[in-house]
Amino acid sequence: MDGLLNLWQATGLANLTFPALSMIAVGCGLLYLAIAKGFEPLLLVPIGFGAILTNIPVAALAEPGGLLYYVYYIGIDSGVFPLLIFMGVGALTDFSALIANPRMLLLGAAAQFGIFATLFGAILLNFIPGFEFTLQDASAIAIIGGADGPTAIFLASKLSPELLGAIAVAAYSYMALVPIIQPPIMRLLTSEEERSIAMPQLRPVSKREKVLFPLMVLALTLLFLPAASPLVGMFCLGNLMRESGVVDRLSNTAQNELINITTIFLGLAVGSKLAADQFLTVETLGILLLGALAFSIGTASGVYMAKVMNRVSSNPINPLVGAAGVSAVPMAARVVNKVGLESNPHNFLLMHAMGPNVAGVLGSAVAAGILLALVG
Amino acid sequence: MEISELLMQAANLMLTGMVGVFIFLSILILAVKGLSKLSASQPIPEQPTTKTRSQRSESAGVPAQHIAAISAAIAQFRQNN
Repeated sequence: MDGLLNLWQATGLANLTFPALSMIAVGCGLLYLAIAKGFEPLLLVPIGFGAILTNIPVAALAEPGGLLYYVYYIGIDSGVFPLLIFMGVGALTDFSALIANPRMLLLGAAAQFGIFATLFGAILLNFIPGFEFTLQDASAIAIIGGADGPTAIFLASKLSPELLGAIAVAAYSYMALVPIIQPPIMRLLTSEEERSIAMPQLRPVSKREKVLFPLMVLALTLLFLPAASPLVGMFCLGNLMRESGVVDRLSNTAQNELINITTIFLGLAVGSKLAADQFLTVETLGILLLGALAFSIGTASGVYMAKVMNRVSSNPINPLVGAAGVSAVPMAARVVNKVGLESNPHNFLLMHAMGPNVAGVLGSAVAAGILLALVG
Repeated sequence: MEISELLMQAANLMLTGMVGVFIFLSILILAVKGLSKLSASQPIPEQPTTKTRSQRSESAGVPAQHIAAISAAIAQFRQNN
């Protein structure tokens, strides 16, 4: 009889708690979004599955000694996984649209207002009982507005590891929702006339410029913002491998195998942070709310900046391309193209939007560096 | 009281952060413009490298303009996908 009782005690049924069950449901929800709805499946499948594994009673996969604990410890606590992914993103990024029209960097800068305004908003939430965000927490939450998964995870792991699960889930969910969040804001802030502005064709960019660009970005980081050098450095390494043309094997590995392997473990490690006691809090709700706010403000400030630039500049600038400044490559640029085509069916803005789009990646890495330097 | 202090710090951070991002990226704009001027003034050394490259990878006789057009199309296709 004792044996039977012991066996019962070892089952999941005897140990299942309501919070753990809810988190398993959250994991299943993420899997549903990824598989049935196609929301960022590359990340939400491992994150959702990781969330289920983490909340299996008795097994304690996310406790010291469990697999997910070590994956998290090795990959995210150390900051290694997001940086490896960033190298792959660098190897995937073509900067020629930005080099041809460097003023687009201003749009990438303006869209980072979403980050800093949200930081302020996160502290404002402290007036509501139940919220106790420190400046570090607020900074980690605000970086969701950078619309850059690896940057958000990197910063959260450094500033506020206990909020990492919620921040990563919010960042990737909203990146998948870019085609739903952005267009209403873009239409609201621009007139039909502005949306149909055609932009002059971009000049071709020489190989030398493309090779020197990452080196130059690295040099500026070295001089002005060393705190951003882990992110920017890995990004530039990936981009140099791509553009130099002499290490195609390494570049291909960074773009494909390495980024894929890292993505599996990054997702699992993020899932391990979706334990009931850390995720089922009122703070998670606040983070989801602030994330949406950050995306919206970033989009709006990018569009406004583009409107200002259009007034000042001699070359016409379609204000829609400002929305691509939030990064979320290449989804935001595609959204710009789609909204532009609605107003003018002959106006292809994709290449023009790629400039602010990749500028947004640099902008959010720089913003992350500034936050690390000031509150880290 | 503590929250208002935090709010002040957050506002401060917002200001310094935005100024910092703009300064950094503005310097980058100047640097990129300098870079393109530099490479526009010295187009000759770049030519031979692309030529030897294209000759090595493509069979001889394909005009350089065609290669440029094809590679531009491939780059655009890759970006779209």
